[in-house]
Amino acid sequence: MPWYLYLALKQLFPTGRRFPFFTAISVLSVALGVALLVVVLGVMGGFGYQIRRMIVDTEGEIQIKARGLVADSRSVVKRVEAVPGVAGASPYAAGILMVQYQNKPAFPQMRGLDMASVERVVPLGKFVTAGSLDALDDDSVILSEGLAESLGVPIGGTLEIYTPLMLARKDLEVILPHSVRVVGVLRIGHQQLDSSTVYCTLRLAQDLYGLARDVHGLNVRLKPGANEDEVAARINAVLPPNIRAFSWMDSFADFLWILQLEKNMMMFVLLFVVLVAAFLTMSLLLVLVLKKTREIGLLGALGASRRQIALCFCLQGVGVGVVGTAAGLALGFTVLHFRNDLVHAITRLTGGQELLARFYQFSELPEHTEPRDLLVIVVAALVLSTLAGIIPAVMAGRLKPVEALRSE
Amino acid sequence: MSDAVLSARGLVKSFPSGDRRLEVLRGVDFEVGAGETVSIRGESGSGKSTLLHLLAGLDTPDAGTVAWSGSPDTGAARRATYLGFVFQSFYLIPELDALQNVLMAARILRPPGAADLARAKDLLSRVGLAERQRHLPAHLSGGERQRVAVARALMNSPRLLLADEPTGNLDEQTGAAIIDLLLGLSAETKTALVLVTHNLAHASRCTRQLRLHLGRFE
Repeated sequence: MPWYLYLALKQLFPTGRRFPFFTAISVLSVALGVALLVVVLGVMGGFGYQIRRMIVDTEGEIQIKARGLVADSRSVVKRVEAVPGVAGASPYAAGILMVQYQNKPAFPQMRGLDMASVERVVPLGKFVTAGSLDALDDDSVILSEGLAESLGVPIGGTLEIYTPLMLARKDLEVILPHSVRVVGVLRIGHQQLDSSTVYCTLRLAQDLYGLARDVHGLNVRLKPGANEDEVAARINAVLPPNIRAFSWMDSFADFLWILQLEKNMMMFVLLFVVLVAAFLTMSLLLVLVLKKTREIGLLGALGASRRQIALCFCLQGVGVGVVGTAAGLALGFTVLHFRNDLVHAITRLTGGQELLARFYQFSELPEHTEPRDLLVIVVAALVLSTLAGIIPAVMAGRLKPVEALRSE
Repeated sequence: MSDAVLSARGLVKSFPSGDRRLEVLRGVDFEVGAGETVSIRGESGSGKSTLLHLLAGLDTPDAGTVAWSGSPDTGAARRATYLGFVFQSFYLIPELDALQNVLMAARILRPPGAADLARAKDLLSRVGLAERQRHLPAHLSGGERQRVAVARALMNSPRLLLADEPTGNLDEQTGAAIIDLLLGLSAETKTALVLVTHNLAHASRCTRQLRLHLGRFE
């Protein structure tokens, strides 16, 4: 190993001596910055991942929509299911309802499902926590868990449904609600959907919204490994021009862009923590250069070149970066591993567990770390730490040995 | 090509002092032969250390030349093998133990091998520190530190040893032991020695004694 690397390592991590203050503070500051980035981006990524998974779980990888309504959905389903890469397609009708149970109203989302095909796209059966999906018919509904709880309606209870269509009827006509039985409760695991959704048959939804046999769109599930964009293009080739297939990323492009923007902004802001750590490393290295002036003179007297002396100090910045980043990654992933225990402990102390679930729409703190994010964190920490070593290194390299020796 | 290990001709060196320049060396001629020991005495500020820095190639003269074995190349790369330097303040690297401090002189030239390690251990034995080679400088006495510095100066088998008041920070007895060591090793290894000292007794033990006064040898 070249002497400047050897001496840099020995000055950072001397054997048989107390851990130097400079090393401890510098490594700790970089580690905290990196750990903060890992934790925040991991949790932000987790939220994004959960939302993406929720979209794919409940809407399929491809959404088919028309300008207006989709007529003859059976024929569309047949054509779409014949496209390579498609595992199944299911038509749906969606909208907002007013429901009432014992004079307690709610305004949930409605999801009308084609019972013959829905399981090929969304595995709803496995989400049913009470009652049965098989019991769902044109006179019954399944409620999301949150809605059932807020209305206090039991399995077998009767719910009254009002639709916007009823408002459009003439003034003197009495608006009669549609009465349906509650045959099940469903919990998907996503707070947003579980809080307020009514699931009914496609036919009931079509009746409630006056759609006749038309539907609002189709959800398409792909075979494993199929590419959304490629399959969407293939589907568009077999559909009439007024009906278009979009990959879930295109359908929710604006929302996904906002999610990505939030994450990028968070990364940008938190990188300043690492930048501050790099400034701290630089100022400590500058102090070290002043402290080691006579040693720099000695190295010059022993025959070391200025470039080698500069490298010795620059490598200390790199060393702080490498060890600080490694420690930060370890700390960050440890915090991420115990994130829910930590959150539960904090919310137990503050009593905000329910609020957290309601506000963030997830009962557990999610985590998903993208390799790309990790790469950016590691590269940024290493580059900033190396840059932090450059100014002290230049200063050390510029010292003339004779002036350094005279400094006593 | 001169036979002298070190030769200097007409060395002039001045430093800025306020709005004028203070002339420290005023045309010094100097030569040291192989294996010769030369002492340089002089009052504080007489230019002894400045002369030593010029001879070591650590500083450049305003006028005059320095040559090692007749060659004007006194750059860092040649310095590592041609000369050893012993300082008043030892200048050991505090993070390295005695053995690694000695090895540092070789390490600057190349990653040290088994032969370098054996030589460093041998030198430490010869300066009487065989049992202290794993000790950090902070755990060594002043005399022991200077002995490590002497071993380090000899590590690359230099042709010339420059010692700048090597006993200045030591008590009389320890200082005398260091001078014994320097002269003994110089004779044993046929290394030329230039010893800068205030101490007349130490200076008189060298084969040639010089006195620097007002920037010139008397």
